[in-house]
Amino acid sequence: MNDPYKVLGVSPNATDDEIKTAYKELVKKYHPDQYQDSPIADVAEEKMAEVNAAYDQIMQQRKSGGYSSGSSYGGGGGYSSVNYQEIRRMIQNGDITRADGLLDAVAQGQRGAEWYFLKGSVCYTRGWLNDAYTNFQTAYRMQPGNPEYQAAVNQMNQQRGGFMRGTPNPGYQTQAAGPMDCCTTLCCADCCCEMMGGDLISCC
Amino acid sequence: MFGYVRAFKPYMRVCEFDTYQGVYCGLCKKMGREFGLVSRLTLSYDFTFLALMNMSLNNLSLTACRQRCIVHPLKKRVCAVCENGLEYPAYAAVILVYHKLRDDLADRGLKHKLRAAAALPFFRRFYKKARIKYPQLADTIEEQMKLQRATEQEKTQSIDKACEPTAAMMAEIACGLCNKEESKPVLKRFGYLLGRYIYICDALDDVKEDYKKRGYNPLLFLCSDGDSDVLSDRDFKALCDYAADSVNFTLGELAEAYVKLDIQMYKPIVDNIIYLGLKYVFEQIQKGTYRRKIKQDKQ
Repeated sequence: MNDPYKVLGVSPNATDDEIKTAYKELVKKYHPDQYQDSPIADVAEEKMAEVNAAYDQIMQQRKSGGYSSGSSYGGGGGYSSVNYQEIRRMIQNGDITRADGLLDAVAQGQRGAEWYFLKGSVCYTRGWLNDAYTNFQTAYRMQPGNPEYQAAVNQMNQQRGGFMRGTPNPGYQTQAAGPMDCCTTLCCADCCCEMMGGDLISCC
Repeated sequence: MFGYVRAFKPYMRVCEFDTYQGVYCGLCKKMGREFGLVSRLTLSYDFTFLALMNMSLNNLSLTACRQRCIVHPLKKRVCAVCENGLEYPAYAAVILVYHKLRDDLADRGLKHKLRAAAALPFFRRFYKKARIKYPQLADTIEEQMKLQRATEQEKTQSIDKACEPTAAMMAEIACGLCNKEESKPVLKRFGYLLGRYIYICDALDDVKEDYKKRGYNPLLFLCSDGDSDVLSDRDFKALCDYAADSVNFTLGELAEAYVKLDIQMYKPIVDNIIYLGLKYVFEQIQKGTYRRKIKQDKQ
């Protein structure tokens, strides 16, 4: 079966509330009432079933011992003894000092892309933006395909170029942002919001 | 350390500029009433921003009146009156300036030392009064100032670490702007990033002087250790770029926090400061045209 989080379009470390909102949005979107007499009614129905199943699965997982599914990833290959899911959760909950302590305890040779990403997240939460950028970049270099790392690097690159959210005077900006940039920015911002536990675009 | 948070006048409407200046004058008068004449001389536009944020977050409106003042004896000026809105920034200003003066006395050049020595006796008295009213703020700032000195003695090479005490100080000040518990985390982050911006600006502003005197500056680790007294243009350019990146990250994040704050009143003015003023000041520092005091325009 597909990753339930992907079906709902949330990150695995989203809070219960975020998942609920995402779920509600999707239900609204695929509700059979909207597709009466429509040729894609059966597709919508299928989607609806998928969304329901995903939501149930996540809620069940979370009730029975939190993010249990995460540990199976890490344990599978036996490639690291570090529980990155646990650290991730600490960062989410704002327990930065402990998360940083656990990360620092990882030996230099064992630091993979995820380590750098989490270290970057710790720095980011602290407001140590220069270190955060370096770490995100390292993570992305080690694992270029990862959308999460890419989103983080992209967002910071935007800011590096002078992007400030909500600016009422776009004309003053030294670098004009094209329409494409606008989209990527929104996506990146959403990813980053989700990383921090919020949500900007609730439908994805 | 002060004077980096100000509005970008060319993009302000006349009425906005009048309000901005009125708040400045009102704050100045308020400080005069609370502490006395000497405290007024140290006021900077940074605290006008703080006052605007304070009034905006707490939904306090101001009343304008025309008054004379010592600095402008001939013409009456528009002056904002807002008892509750101006008190916190006035006290925060006194607490910060007191610590800044103590810092100047310890390790700045002769000119700063003399000025600090002259002002400190007064400020010791003001500080006592302010401390009684905002004990937690005063303690936090005192502690962070100590940390700042320690970090500078350590000569840390990380700009993030070097910024930390100033940023934490501003975080505490921003936190006091609003009593609503739910907006504190955002305000804290906002203050932290603002402090970070101020520190980087200050570092870049002082970098040439620090290089000459071999003083500590978190940006100087970027340049080669030459024997000459003057920072070479290439090195200066390199550290300007580095500082620009850091400032842009900081301002980008600052905006992220800012849009989460519920700013309604005075929004155009605060927007102007956040989105234009901060960038403009930094550009000026890069070009070397930045002046701490803005010349007051003839009205």
